[in-house]
Amino acid sequence: MTSAAPTFTGTAAEAWRERDVPARPESYLQAARRRFMQNRVGLAALGVLGMLVLSAILAPWLTTHDPTVGVPAERLLPIGSAGHVLGTDEQGRDMLTRLLYGGRLSLIAGLVPVLIATSIGTTLGAVAGYLGGWVAAVIMRTMDMFYAFPTVLLAIAVSASLGPGLKNVIIAMTIVYIAPIARVAEAATRKVVVAEFIEAARLTGASTVRILFTQVLANIFSPIFVYASGLVGLSIVIAASLSFLGLGVAPPAAEWGFMLNALRGTIYVNPWVAALPGLFIFAVSISFNMLADAIRDALDVKG
Amino acid sequence: MAIVILRRAGMAIPTLLGVTLMIWMLLSILPGDPLVGLLAPDATQADRDRLAHEMGLDRPLPVRYVAWLGETLTGDLGFSPFRQREVVELIQNAWRNTAILAGASAVFGLTVGMLLGTLAGVHRGTPIDRVVTGSAIVGLSVPSFWIAILLLIVFSAQLKWLPAGGIGQLSEGIVPFLKHLIMPVLAGSLTTIAITARVTRASVVETFQSEFVDLLRAKGLREWQVLLHVGKNAISPVLTTSGLQVGYLLGGSVLIETIFSWPGLGQLVFNAIAQRDLAVVQATTLVIAVTFVLLNLAVDLLQATFDPRIKRTA
Repeated sequence: MTSAAPTFTGTAAEAWRERDVPARPESYLQAARRRFMQNRVGLAALGVLGMLVLSAILAPWLTTHDPTVGVPAERLLPIGSAGHVLGTDEQGRDMLTRLLYGGRLSLIAGLVPVLIATSIGTTLGAVAGYLGGWVAAVIMRTMDMFYAFPTVLLAIAVSASLGPGLKNVIIAMTIVYIAPIARVAEAATRKVVVAEFIEAARLTGASTVRILFTQVLANIFSPIFVYASGLVGLSIVIAASLSFLGLGVAPPAAEWGFMLNALRGTIYVNPWVAALPGLFIFAVSISFNMLADAIRDALDVKG
Repeated sequence: MAIVILRRAGMAIPTLLGVTLMIWMLLSILPGDPLVGLLAPDATQADRDRLAHEMGLDRPLPVRYVAWLGETLTGDLGFSPFRQREVVELIQNAWRNTAILAGASAVFGLTVGMLLGTLAGVHRGTPIDRVVTGSAIVGLSVPSFWIAILLLIVFSAQLKWLPAGGIGQLSEGIVPFLKHLIMPVLAGSLTTIAITARVTRASVVETFQSEFVDLLRAKGLREWQVLLHVGKNAISPVLTTSGLQVGYLLGGSVLIETIFSWPGLGQLVFNAIAQRDLAVVQATTLVIAVTFVLLNLAVDLLQATFDPRIKRTA
């Protein structure tokens, strides 16, 4: 307020200034953000994830050992050994180093398929939901076929057919996730299409593609985002499962699922070190699941 | 009722065809040379062509699919060049063991899950509810193969109470049989317990809000009698998820059976992956997927008998 503005005093003016009406009503995203910031569990999960992601990215600067070359004389040291806080693995490599480096591939393998599948599934579902008719029938009946398989099994079968390797694991998981996301997108689109603003956009002469991108997408974003964020926790576990089965990375790369399988034989000699990679998978997975719950509550989406 | 059964069964046929088409596509269209392992390393192009012709690989894709489907329907699931055995034989032996493990895990997981879910639903908002709901999210997030390894560390490596792997034969007595079963069932059914508990809780809570519950109470029924009525009305979504759960148990058996050396379909798949024996991977996937579809069909029909509302809309 500038000094030239007139000043009002007195109780009526005070009450007017402190009135309970906000200048502008809270927008949907502002409300969602406020609800999220009030959710302690969600914030804690976000904090844990932030730390894990950051430590994976900064692994070269946070660790002092080589993640792939070990010291044979220092094999299978227990947790709390001097110089190796979390012990060493069956080849004498520092566990803390490998766990931090391992987070890179594990997080990529879990997150990337969800991201790609979300963009493909959203497109398919939005097109099917918007156009309807035979296009929708072809797309959605094709998607239905994927539901005849248990998720993990389909991922294993596709990944095994493509051959081992992180890239193929990501492709296999992407294929598996497209169908459920397309279903969510299609259902959400069908609800939006009947809205008057879509009709209005059509009347102004907007093309189908333009309507899909500017009108439909913005309005189906929430349910899809909630579903996809709920998928990440599962995806981390499935990615680790595929690596565990030997379909993912090749040695000597560090990846949590792969490390867990490699250490399986050492549980009689050095038990608790063998359990560590699983603890990291679990920590990431449960944090994502809690974060997803918080996002769902914040965006106020049912389901 | 007969009409309901026929209609539902009819709806499963396109799904089953879709399953066979997808498996066949994995087998035929994806990159990877189907002749690898069947030819000598010094085979000439003429040898390759002859073998490809013998196997029908030079025919158009739709013809190959129909031919393959015919073979599959008559019980010919292919030949494993690595094991020199018919895939059907391999699967038959493994199938029984997987059925034992998945069956036991399903019964255990669904029972415990439904009990916990009902408990939480009835005591909604209390500490009991919070403990169950909180444990469920842990159960959903925890990788089954990690739990399997933790169980091995505690009960096999440290305490030496339970055998680390293998299957116990019933002929050797019930105790060793059960001892071999405990850890695989616990590790495998954790997710089942978590999901079933969540679904049951949600359904029980929703049903308790129905008006008929007020009516029952107004009529003076005791709380356990009300619970019986609620249970019958809340079971439908739980049944739906139970069909899915058994399917997930079959899928997850690859990990659990591998860790506990359980000689079932899952271990067969794991070994076949390591040997790049794709015929076995795909035949096993087919068998499990078909089981999954039939199982969901059975659940559908079961639901129709439980819930007269479904019978009318079907």
